[in-house]
Amino acid sequence: MKKKQRVVVFTLTLALILGLGAVTLAQSTLDKVKSKGVLVAGVKYDAPPFGFVDETGAVVGFDIDVAKYIADKLGVKLSLVQVTSKSRIPMLQDGTVDMLVATMTHSKARDETIDFSITYFFTGQKLLVKENSGIQSVADLAGKTVATIQGSTSEINIRRAQPAAKILVFQEYPQAFLALQQGRAQAMTTDASILAGFAGLYPGYAIVGPNIAPEPYGIGIRENDSAWRDAINLAIMDMWESGQYHKAYEKWFGVNSKYPLPLAGEIEVWP
Amino acid sequence: MNYNFNWMVLWDYRELLIQGLIITLKLSITSIILSTVIGIILGILRLAKNLAVRLVASAYVEFFLNTPLIIQLFFWYFALPMIFPEPVQMWLWEHNYEFISAVIGLTIYTSTFIAEAVRAGIQSIDKGQQEAALASGLSDFQTMWYVILPQAIRVVIPPICNQFLNLTKNSSLAMTIAVPELTHQAQAIEALTFRGFEAFTAATLIYIALTITISLLMSRIERWSAKGQQIVTA
Repeated sequence: MKKKQRVVVFTLTLALILGLGAVTLAQSTLDKVKSKGVLVAGVKYDAPPFGFVDETGAVVGFDIDVAKYIADKLGVKLSLVQVTSKSRIPMLQDGTVDMLVATMTHSKARDETIDFSITYFFTGQKLLVKENSGIQSVADLAGKTVATIQGSTSEINIRRAQPAAKILVFQEYPQAFLALQQGRAQAMTTDASILAGFAGLYPGYAIVGPNIAPEPYGIGIRENDSAWRDAINLAIMDMWESGQYHKAYEKWFGVNSKYPLPLAGEIEVWP
Repeated sequence: MNYNFNWMVLWDYRELLIQGLIITLKLSITSIILSTVIGIILGILRLAKNLAVRLVASAYVEFFLNTPLIIQLFFWYFALPMIFPEPVQMWLWEHNYEFISAVIGLTIYTSTFIAEAVRAGIQSIDKGQQEAALASGLSDFQTMWYVILPQAIRVVIPPICNQFLNLTKNSSLAMTIAVPELTHQAQAIEALTFRGFEAFTAATLIYIALTITISLLMSRIERWSAKGQQIVTA
């Protein structure tokens, strides 16, 4: 090709790519998910009973059930990706996942960078201690060691609630629990729902204290995507109204389950 | 681009970065000194005349050379205290065992690489040197200390310098056992402000500054060790 022709073709191709790119960027996640036929959900793999790996190696949990319901409601397949408290928001922002159903507390600080659905789970931050430890609340933690997880609201809250405690910050929940088990820490703090997971698996531990802070869980989605947020909100309300939410709750948190936790709130349902 | 850069967060949270840097420095310097001493001893032991000594040293080196550092850190921090009785455990935990086990882990891991470098360095010295020294009446120890090692050090400095750089970078793994070093603090800033790009750029620049400093120091040492060496022509 002559040089001039090459320049023209190159410029046209570039314009085409950028044009297509702009179109895809402006597309709502809802359209993207529907056209691809797959909803990629970021969930935890290490937080029973919200998201964990069972004996068969499958990823199961309450969050997974909620994600599955939303995918079914939209008529698409569900694909799961593992996230941690640290990695979840970056993975949402860069597009690796379409939504986060990962025990994520809806906080004002987080709402500045991402958007949230309506609250789909109600719990609060508490302490997990060995039974007979004598620790009843945050006041008893002065001079003691508390294990928590980096990147969670719990880390910030416990520092504020008890400045006289030594805080050990781990990367994952199992390590924080191991520290408590070995006596390295006298308490572990995070959402009561996650603590229930550990208390249910290991006898000899008790969840104590009033709520250090409320922890309303929301599904995380990218900023400024109203169509997507509406779709998710409607799906959540539908799950509540159809009774599926209660079924899932009974299965994971009911009195006969491994991690009994009474229902602490109701999903807001719009008329 | 939709990302709004906000470099001011680094100034707002400079305390965290400084605290992290101090811990990284303490961790790296302590481990560098210890692993060099242990590495040199191990390297010499690997070439000992006594078969038993040689085997034990070799087994030790092979084991820690071939296990990932993060597994070793978990072992020292979570598994090791379990063999000790309760009072010893309590004592360990009162005394910042996170930092201690990170030093142990980094030291043992790096000392094995240094041992291999030292061994290669010693073996690279002409056998004639050792034979001449022994023939002149020097003992084994004197031969090693006054003749072989001084010459081996010159050969061994570049690979050891590499290991020091690796150690400084590997110190970031200590965050998995709750040591609040530089990488951990960069993550903390990211968690508080969601400014991951700025936080990790700062951490990267600080690590580069550290490694360049180490490299410059080591090349100074290399030049100093070359003093007094003359090329002898027959």
